[in-house]
Amino acid sequence: MTELLQAPATTRDGAWRGAAEVLIGNWTGTSTVPSRSLYPHQWSWDSAFLAIGWRHLSPRRAQRELESLLGAQWGDGRVPHIVFNPSVPLGAYFPSPDFWRSSAAGAGRGAPATVETSGIVQPPVHALAALLVHEADPEISRRRGFLTRLYPRLARWHDYLARRRDLGRGGLAAVVHPWEPGMDNSPCWDGPLARIEPAEPGTFRRADLDHGAATDRPTDLDYGRYVRLAAEYRDAGYDDAAAPHGFAVEDPNFNALFIASEYALAEIAAEVGAAPAGHLARAERLTRALLDRLWDAEAGVFRCRDLHAGGDGLIPETSVAGLVPLIVPGLPGPVVDALLRTLTGPHFALGDRTGLAPSYDLRGHAFDPSRYWRGPAWFNINWLIERGLRLQGVPERADALRSAFLRSAAGSGYAEYVDPLTGEPRGARRFGWTAALTLDLLGSVSPTFAGPRRLARHLAARPHRPSTSSTRAIRAHADAPSPKLSAPLEQGGTPSTPRPDPQRSERHPLAAGEEPR
Amino acid sequence: MLKTAAQEQLLPGNSLQEKWEFAQSAGYDAIELRAKGDFHFRDRLPELRQALADGVVMPTVCVEMLHFFGAFDAELRRDAIEQLKSQLSVIAELGGRGAQTPASYGMFSRRLPPFEPPRGEAEEREILLSGLAEMGEHALREGVTLYLEPLNRYEDHMVNRLAQAAELIKEVGLDSVRIGIDSYHMNIEEADPAAAIIEYAPYIGHAQVSDSNRFQPGAGHLDWPAWLGALHTIGYDGYLAAECRLTGDPATAVRSVPGFLRRSGA
Repeated sequence: MTELLQAPATTRDGAWRGAAEVLIGNWTGTSTVPSRSLYPHQWSWDSAFLAIGWRHLSPRRAQRELESLLGAQWGDGRVPHIVFNPSVPLGAYFPSPDFWRSSAAGAGRGAPATVETSGIVQPPVHALAALLVHEADPEISRRRGFLTRLYPRLARWHDYLARRRDLGRGGLAAVVHPWEPGMDNSPCWDGPLARIEPAEPGTFRRADLDHGAATDRPTDLDYGRYVRLAAEYRDAGYDDAAAPHGFAVEDPNFNALFIASEYALAEIAAEVGAAPAGHLARAERLTRALLDRLWDAEAGVFRCRDLHAGGDGLIPETSVAGLVPLIVPGLPGPVVDALLRTLTGPHFALGDRTGLAPSYDLRGHAFDPSRYWRGPAWFNINWLIERGLRLQGVPERADALRSAFLRSAAGSGYAEYVDPLTGEPRGARRFGWTAALTLDLLGSVSPTFAGPRRLARHLAARPHRPSTSSTRAIRAHADAPSPKLSAPLEQGGTPSTPRPDPQRSERHPLAAGEEPR
Repeated sequence: MLKTAAQEQLLPGNSLQEKWEFAQSAGYDAIELRAKGDFHFRDRLPELRQALADGVVMPTVCVEMLHFFGAFDAELRRDAIEQLKSQLSVIAELGGRGAQTPASYGMFSRRLPPFEPPRGEAEEREILLSGLAEMGEHALREGVTLYLEPLNRYEDHMVNRLAQAAELIKEVGLDSVRIGIDSYHMNIEEADPAAAIIEYAPYIGHAQVSDSNRFQPGAGHLDWPAWLGALHTIGYDGYLAAECRLTGDPATAVRSVPGFLRRSGA
């Protein structure tokens, strides 16, 4: 069907047809592979973005996508980053099921006995996706009991992150492997990874180089460290309390998605007759922790925090992960303004040197326009930024980004990622979420994001507090009442000065060698 | 937006003009005609010409006989081919697009006793290829298309899936022979109906719609958005012709179809 992809992709119809053809071609019957060649299984955050696209083509397939992923959830609540397709040969992807050994090694954590998965996680986009899928066709969703069945699973997933992954005891979820935040080889991980002894090169065989150009992929040395970390986690039975967690980082992208999904979970709870209050309260706590722990006011960007490093642990790298919190409702005005300046300034140059935000600082020492998460522009991240720009009340910037996204996605043959400066396609082609999010941007010019209108409905039911500049971005949507966040966020100002947190120990629990909770 | 048609027997009214009134009010774009044997369809020409003059849109015709060009009996095969050729000529005179036929219907099933048909696969293939070639050449001369419809395994034992129809059409090598897909049969036979539409896109010429239970679209459990989305994806520009049974009040059921298909992405 190359003719279809070569059809005038620049037209709306051409882009729609090309994207739909990729999704239909990557569908396996119960889920969608990110790429027929490079990624032949089901990936966690891919599935969420894929469902967001499928809802425009088949709400039922969108629901199946999430149901099949959540069907492989572990007893402890974690949603594994890969669910393996048993009919795919072991050698087609590394690390394969015989590396993770989830059903055996993860038995103590409630890993499924009959489905093989990885043991790590990816960003929690799922509740957000579930809500968007439901809203696409509430009638079929209710008839199938979609949210009723998914809600308890999504709630347990978030509970896992909140209870088992708050390794820094500061109220955020930590990631324990560079693959967990989804940006596998971001320069943010170079420092924390340098401490890890790589696995011997002869002890594993990469499958990704069979299908991808080596210059577009992580290096062998990185891979050796990825393998070491995963093996140590596995050998600890995937028990977060027992694993050494040589890598432990708080990532703003992961936690911003956690917050957006927690707000979505509140809406889902209301839809299924459960109580939204706990979810709203957690979303607000997470937002405060995000600002307290990861905001770098001087740089105007959220940073990753290395839980093993000394000092404040903030990793001095500027990654697009630090801009994704634009999707968080109710950020203080100065924070939003600073994020917008960073996005359009020399480090990301959006609307100037770049049409899509690069994954890493254009001026950074490690910038590489071709290599995976060390510079290329990714479509899921730019979709999030587009939504974030709308949420924060800058629709003209969102419109420009949307146009650039659609041009680049269709023009690149739905590439996995592109060179942010030249637009050259990189990585896999006919990539699932690139196609899915193309459909979403074509299908919804006006935002249906779990943004102010619906969110505000829940928040408005809470005791009224005076609105301040902290809700500037929300107020920019004139048709929606301002959501009211509780103190201290609402007191406005830039929370660059860390506030004392009675819950937080003076000594860092990991740095001090204590066991994480 | 995909165009919709209703088969004439589904529409209330004593004449094609009355049926067309109803069809338009329900949101259909056309009527699909049905053609009985014994040159009955040809004999309807005066009625059909008048309907055309009165503005009735009739792009396609579907055969309504009990023997087909894949019949075991040679005389029945010959008659079926002659009937189809006549039907192609009539629909051409009406300015239509084409005529649809299966290879056989209700003659044999490999899923039911005695399981093995009385002739071998090589002979069957030869019969299908020569019939398609003769009818296809006639269609070419008339400027219309013959649509070969794969049926489910219980209704026909020779052409059940799009892949089989496409292979025969490729072998015949005539643009005037295409596949007439049917959502109901595809639901039974295709591993992934939407993917099959994409895979055999160049061969698809016509589409008939009914739900998983053969009732009107909306009365069963087909994944219509995926199926219709695939047709949009391939740039399908033909009709979605309702060929179905009706459940509930017949007029209400027929009236519901265009709206249902629109809501489902047609």
